[in-house]
Amino acid sequence: MNCEQAQAYFVDLWREALDAPSRAELEQHLAECETCRSECEEGRRTWQALGELRAEEPSARLRTRFYGELHEAERQRRRRERMRGWIGNPWASAAAAIVLVAVGIGVGRMTATRDDSKVANLQHEVADMRQLMALSLLEQQSASERLRGVSYASTVQEPDSDVRDALLRTLNSDPNVNVRLAAVDALHRFAGSPEVRQGLARALAREESPLVQIAILDQLVELRERSAVSSVDHLLREPQLNPEVRQRAEWAVRRLQ
Amino acid sequence: MNCVNDPSDNRVMDRVREGELAALAELFERHHRPLFRYFVHLGGSRETSEDLVQEVFVRILKYRATFLPGADFAPWMYQIARNTHTDAMRKRRFEVIPGGANPVIDDAPSAEPLAEERIGRRQETALLRRALDLLPDDKREILVLSRFQNLKYEQIAALLGCEVNTVKVRVFRAVRALGQEYERLAQQRAYGA
Repeated sequence: MNCEQAQAYFVDLWREALDAPSRAELEQHLAECETCRSECEEGRRTWQALGELRAEEPSARLRTRFYGELHEAERQRRRRERMRGWIGNPWASAAAAIVLVAVGIGVGRMTATRDDSKVANLQHEVADMRQLMALSLLEQQSASERLRGVSYASTVQEPDSDVRDALLRTLNSDPNVNVRLAAVDALHRFAGSPEVRQGLARALAREESPLVQIAILDQLVELRERSAVSSVDHLLREPQLNPEVRQRAEWAVRRLQ
Repeated sequence: MNCVNDPSDNRVMDRVREGELAALAELFERHHRPLFRYFVHLGGSRETSEDLVQEVFVRILKYRATFLPGADFAPWMYQIARNTHTDAMRKRRFEVIPGGANPVIDDAPSAEPLAEERIGRRQETALLRRALDLLPDDKREILVLSRFQNLKYEQIAALLGCEVNTVKVRVFRAVRALGQEYERLAQQRAYGA
């Protein structure tokens, strides 16, 4: 074995992933070559030190943004599929053309007489509609509809306590993990509400999915909710706790104390 | 722990390609943290790194048809991540700020009893982080891929378009360069003190 061949084995040696014959061959080379011995030892120290760099964690907002994007992509896909069905049907295409002309005439008349108060009223109505839509979707049977509901709730401007309470109910009782996960993220915008902070801490005690438990822990740390330490401690006392959740909970306690 | 070699990733991505977009949530939950750390270790700020992770998943959705049946998901995803990073560098959205963008001071209480020892270790970690940021891009990248992302040599070789043995030697040389940069910074600090 020459020095370059030996160098190709160093990283496997540090990773403890070298098979016995290669290891024996490398060790023989290291015993004879002082330069390689010293480079291998120094490299091992650097490799180990790299492993001690702290693992950075993304904020909860990343998850909210991702699920928002995913729901939008789903919605567009469904719309395209519907459009494809319509385009293939000449009667549906004719009906769509008539509806478009009618809408065009209606919009033309409305804008001809519009004033600022009408526009403001219309905006309020749209916001109310969106809120109603979110609340209604959250009650649906299908998990994907409820996910849409959470997504709608995230986009309502100035949502009221009904939306907040509906999201808390979803977090506490929805049978679907993805819906509960999205609810945790959507509740971030109610960070100022004590009900939400306490609700998150209470949900932690009830939650059984490790994914959702980790999301709640992340959220509590991001909100710096120190009163949640007792709930996290309580969780840590569970002997059957998932090891990744345990690690996360210990980290959360350190950050919150 | 990264799940970069999980064969179930490939099956989930097959479902996404076939139009079951909601399945991408599974891949996001498995990979968003390692991807975020990938961008942070490449020298990005937390904010930029989150933007780039989001961009990677948007591109996965957009280019899902290019994931061929039987392909390996992890190298495909990291190829998208590399392209996203390169585009961001080109648009100057992603600039490495040595030691400045990624403070590594951990505010969690330590079990070590000696404050001086703790401070000493923090300084060493900060110095190592700075040395990593000062490495040439290609060396920093291969170190990040092999040390933090736990990719197999074969996967790194496929990503970088070279032989497996070349990857092994390049990883060693990057480690050696990092050690030398660290020593240089440590000496600078000693003379400055």
